[in-house]
Amino acid sequence: MAARSIWNGTLTFGTVAIPVKLFSATDSKTISFKEVRESDGARISHKRLGAESGDEVEFKELDKAYDTGKGVVVLTKDEIAAADGSRPKLIEIESFVKGEAIDPVFYDKAYHLGANKGGDHAYRVLLAALEQSGRVGIGRFMLRSREQLVALRPIQGALGLQTMRFADSLVAPSDLDFPELTKKPGEKEVAMAGKLVEMLAGEWTPEAYEDTYRDAVRELIKAKAAGEEIKPAEEKEATEDNLMAALQASLEAASKTSPSTGESRATPKRPPTKKPTGPKKTTAAQAKAAAAAAKEDE
Amino acid sequence: MPRPMWTGSLSFGLVNVPVQVVGATRDLDVRFHQVRRAKEEGGTPERIEMKRVAEDGKEVPWSKIGKGWELEDGSMLVLTQKDLDAAAPAKTKTIDIESFVPLDDIDPIMFDHPYWLLPAGEGEGAARAYSLLLEVMKEAGQVGIGRIVMRAKEQLVALREQDGLLSLTTMKFAEDLRDPMDTGAIPEGDASKPSQREIDDAVSLIEEMTEDWEPTQYEDRHRERLLKLIEQKRKEGTVDLPELEDEPKPQKAPADLMAALEESLAKARGAKKSAKS
Repeated sequence: MAARSIWNGTLTFGTVAIPVKLFSATDSKTISFKEVRESDGARISHKRLGAESGDEVEFKELDKAYDTGKGVVVLTKDEIAAADGSRPKLIEIESFVKGEAIDPVFYDKAYHLGANKGGDHAYRVLLAALEQSGRVGIGRFMLRSREQLVALRPIQGALGLQTMRFADSLVAPSDLDFPELTKKPGEKEVAMAGKLVEMLAGEWTPEAYEDTYRDAVRELIKAKAAGEEIKPAEEKEATEDNLMAALQASLEAASKTSPSTGESRATPKRPPTKKPTGPKKTTAAQAKAAAAAAKEDE
Repeated sequence: MPRPMWTGSLSFGLVNVPVQVVGATRDLDVRFHQVRRAKEEGGTPERIEMKRVAEDGKEVPWSKIGKGWELEDGSMLVLTQKDLDAAAPAKTKTIDIESFVPLDDIDPIMFDHPYWLLPAGEGEGAARAYSLLLEVMKEAGQVGIGRIVMRAKEQLVALREQDGLLSLTTMKFAEDLRDPMDTGAIPEGDASKPSQREIDDAVSLIEEMTEDWEPTQYEDRHRERLLKLIEQKRKEGTVDLPELEDEPKPQKAPADLMAALEESLAKARGAKKSAKS
């Protein structure tokens, strides 16, 4: 059965007009809970109540108010919809750019585009041309009372649309407050850490990653339902003064396990002083022990 | 500065760096509050409050809200955030960098939400370990792939150096992506097959319309229009409702499509020429 579209309209590219349908490209499988009162599990509902009267207010009685600083302005939903402009059903591709020039921080939600009645042929022309040129179309349209900047490109053999963030909505490092990073790491530390990166380098295979937390939550639900006590989480100990030692121990551990297969990898050129025992995922305490061992050898 | 969404440690091999995660986006939406329309003209609208109310009609504050899971016998199991944190304790408090991959290999469809990763804690050692990671990530030119559990949800993350800080972008799992073919709306078959000439013309049009990517040139025009009409309503008491334009008609016949492509191409070339002269 065909999926239900969430928006229908027309995509334009020059004077070419293509009737299209929009579908969500993602489908979250996160376990969702119901909102309840913690003390007795009573179900919660959200109610719209008049602040003075305490009356429950129906949706059709609602208007929207905005405080301009020079007084509150009340608008109806129709008046707010006026901001959607005169062409709310149009995705207008304004220009094309090189895809690799777009930093990932701009990408937001992904959609698939399907062809609507009368659009099949032009849809395929545009898809083939995008595939051939490797370019990404940039356009805008209104979705759910919001203007969306979008990137149009082929995704898995179909036209894909991904909404993009506006540049002014991104937070720059200068807007943040954090301790000054004046202490530069030593050359040797950088070299060792660089080696560790090399050892952990691999190919990007998204299918290799599965949501394992979901299973853990299911297990937790089972345990709690059976009346078992749940132990709280603990934090890992930070690496403070033993940075070098931790790096050394990491290199040694990584040289024995490959990140993807778990099989042994090529041995490092420099023979290890003393091999720490245990698997790659060692605890901080074990790292400290390894560090102490490394120190003894010096 | 935005408040941290998550604190814990970033672990790279056996190096653990205390970090906090802060949002890298700000909400610039024009925010309204809901009011109840006044019964008579000129009356004062009543402000609306959203309240969480239990089945017995009592209001429940946010701090007393739990996560409910309906068991097979119909009873409600109540979990707290603490319980959920304990589901996978190591994951809840640690981002483990599992591997490094080239950024360009990741399809943008995977990316979800951007964050900044800041050093946390007082120690000089922590800042030094952070600086080390920053330096090495910059040199490697690759992104670290790991996982984070935030708001009771596990997400893949891509970590990299960006503007002198570590950034973290959450990513979707491959299993959460839908196949476009499942929409049943992707055209195929000989009837709609494009000709090489059409494709070539479309490619030329794309090339004519190609510009540099300059993200700052795009502003949220909807926000501007919204603020303008609020101002109009304040001053004049009314809002101009726009007349909706008809949607452009699709070029149904292949000859019409070809004509539209050539017309657009001529226009784009003309525009470029006049811009140059």
